[in-house]
Amino acid sequence: MERTFTNFLSALRGADIRVSVAETLDAMETARLMGWSDRQSLHDALAMALAKTPEEKTGFTRIFDEFFAFESFHDRRDGQETEENGQTDGGDLLTMLEAGDRAALAFAMQDAAVEVGVENIRFFTQRGLYTQRVLQQMGVEGVDAQIQAMGGQGVGGSAGQALRESRAWLFEQVRNYVEQQLSLQGAATSQELREDRLRRSRLGNLDRRDREQMRRIVEKICRRLVALHSRRRKMKNRGQLDIRRTMRRNYGNDGVLFELEWKKRKLDRPRVMAICDVSGSVASVARFLLQFLYELHELLHDIRSFAFSGYLIEVSEHFKDNIADEAADKVMQKVGYMPTDYGESLTNFRESFLADVDRNTTIIILGDARSNNTDPKAEYLKEMHERCKRLIWLNPEPPPLWGTGDSEMRRYRPYCDLLRECNTLNHLERVVNDLLETAQRAA
Amino acid sequence: MTPEQLEKLESIERVREGYADLGYICSRQIATAIYVAGHLGKPVLVEGPAGVGKTELANTTAAYLDLPLIRLQCYEGLDEAKALYEWRYAKQLLYTQILRDKLGEVLGEAQGLKESMDRLHAHADVFFSERFLAPRPLLKALREPGGAVLLIDEVDKSDHEFEAFLLEILSEFQVSIPELGTIKAGRRPVVFLTSNNTREMSDALKRRCLHLYVPFPDAPLEREIIQARIPEIPRHLKYQLVSFVQQVRELDLKKHPSVSESIDWARVLLLLHADELDADMVRQTLNVFLKFEEDIQSVDAELYGFTRQAKKADGARA
Repeated sequence: MERTFTNFLSALRGADIRVSVAETLDAMETARLMGWSDRQSLHDALAMALAKTPEEKTGFTRIFDEFFAFESFHDRRDGQETEENGQTDGGDLLTMLEAGDRAALAFAMQDAAVEVGVENIRFFTQRGLYTQRVLQQMGVEGVDAQIQAMGGQGVGGSAGQALRESRAWLFEQVRNYVEQQLSLQGAATSQELREDRLRRSRLGNLDRRDREQMRRIVEKICRRLVALHSRRRKMKNRGQLDIRRTMRRNYGNDGVLFELEWKKRKLDRPRVMAICDVSGSVASVARFLLQFLYELHELLHDIRSFAFSGYLIEVSEHFKDNIADEAADKVMQKVGYMPTDYGESLTNFRESFLADVDRNTTIIILGDARSNNTDPKAEYLKEMHERCKRLIWLNPEPPPLWGTGDSEMRRYRPYCDLLRECNTLNHLERVVNDLLETAQRAA
Repeated sequence: MTPEQLEKLESIERVREGYADLGYICSRQIATAIYVAGHLGKPVLVEGPAGVGKTELANTTAAYLDLPLIRLQCYEGLDEAKALYEWRYAKQLLYTQILRDKLGEVLGEAQGLKESMDRLHAHADVFFSERFLAPRPLLKALREPGGAVLLIDEVDKSDHEFEAFLLEILSEFQVSIPELGTIKAGRRPVVFLTSNNTREMSDALKRRCLHLYVPFPDAPLEREIIQARIPEIPRHLKYQLVSFVQQVRELDLKKHPSVSESIDWARVLLLLHADELDADMVRQTLNVFLKFEEDIQSVDAELYGFTRQAKKADGARA
């Protein structure tokens, strides 16, 4: 039973549900308390011990249903325990196949699967291998020999045909079973591989079909960043006595200073203004940048977003009211795909929003600085740089291309506190992490 | 847990029935949670939207198990002194002053410093005793001889520091008091923590708790709840009202009507002698379960449709 249980837990981990060792122990105790007879109660109780957010609960239910899908076989198994003894050999398999005893077959298959360790399957390329192993363990050679013999004698006729069909059926069953195991156990590893690839590949090169996956990764990164950075720590600045609070606190002690109060400072989360280029030249990445901005809105308390191509507008509202994809669509509809004009956009920003920039603000600009040979108005960027605490520029192009053609990166460069290439998710994550950390240290 | 209490928790069905007798209708998940928590002695973290009866769950548990309920309301800035205990320096000081003469008597005939010390030591713990300890909810819950139900309400409103401080209590059921040492619970309290999800709780806290998510009830459950709370409600009104409220929860509102609000609404309609929903009466009483002007407007727009739908659902049943 314990083996089943650990397999179940590793399947859960594959589905992104974090299960700690302490929770494993709790879950086992819970399972012992509930017993294995009432499926629904067991599900409810385990869900409480293992899945601790609504999303995790949904994932849990899915895995639970998939994992314990063989319920009906288990029931029959209890009744048969007495007749069953030890290994199944070819002869048994033959009789079972001929008799068409599906329940017996199913559970011979499970025995064989445990014997060859199907739960170790990780990659889809291993499907064939494990299918063969399970079949062998079940003693399929005996059956094959029998089929051969029947064919050889030429008396196979309908009996041989039936046996061949049964064998094919058995093969199907075993392969299905192995695939199911793969989807449970292999999910974790292949998921990791895929995520790793996506994280490292250029945002612009990603396929449309990876979008959903991407969204999940972005969400995951952001969730982790939230967990890391949402704490607002109070820093005790030891050494500086807060006289007022000390006196107040010690009134009750007749003015005798029993307890001292030290001055405290709260560390605040940064104020961020994010400006995102959504023009044609960066169209392939714009969507992900917007996606990321959207998640940032959840992460940072005080953030305003702007999007521009030919001109600039504020888009914070869209991010607040819509879900990620819709928000990105709306923004793209409004200002997307036009020829870029950095000069005009900076002018817009300066006119309408520069007044809101103060020395606690961090400005992040996402864009390639390709301005179609219009006046880049670098002096406006300088003005922004002087007013804000930090100006961060994230450029999707690799550094050798900066300043080539109509790229104005070289002219903007002096006014950026931080200029980074940013075209994979890993880059994005690093930058945001950086941003949050320095913001905390500097505050 | 005493044998009687364990007997009350002997099966999930029994828990459900027992709670129903006390007027709390719980879903299967909730009953399972109480059953498991009672047997394993683990705290339960209850999450869910406001007004689905999270706090009430603790109240009912206290009544059902016949234990005192000790409640700690969390808020920003809550600290140990208000949650756990406070040391009464002033009282200690005052006692020392008053008892100065008595000290003289105690030490009266003692010769030399060493002997005086020894005599004083015989009374040493007098000034560091529990007399000077003002227990706050957490300590009270631990020291309750027969056990208790401890409700840590709206734990998401507290600071991170406080959350970390709770960890020792939740896993070991003990606290460390610098002046006295470690105090361990004689009998483990049944602990409920409620959260409205205004912020994510830390993994460390979640790990130590069973997690129960209480969503808005579905229609049959909500009907049962209303029936239990207001037994005299006419059947038609009950069906239509629940159907209406369920429809309202489908809308995008600032704040969805909670269970307690639909109970209130049912009371109001009963007071107005309504046997059935009708659009005008609904309009006049919308403010009972909707608390934002925008929400009232958006429901008002759907009012006739919803009322018709509610009657239809009721008619289909009949």
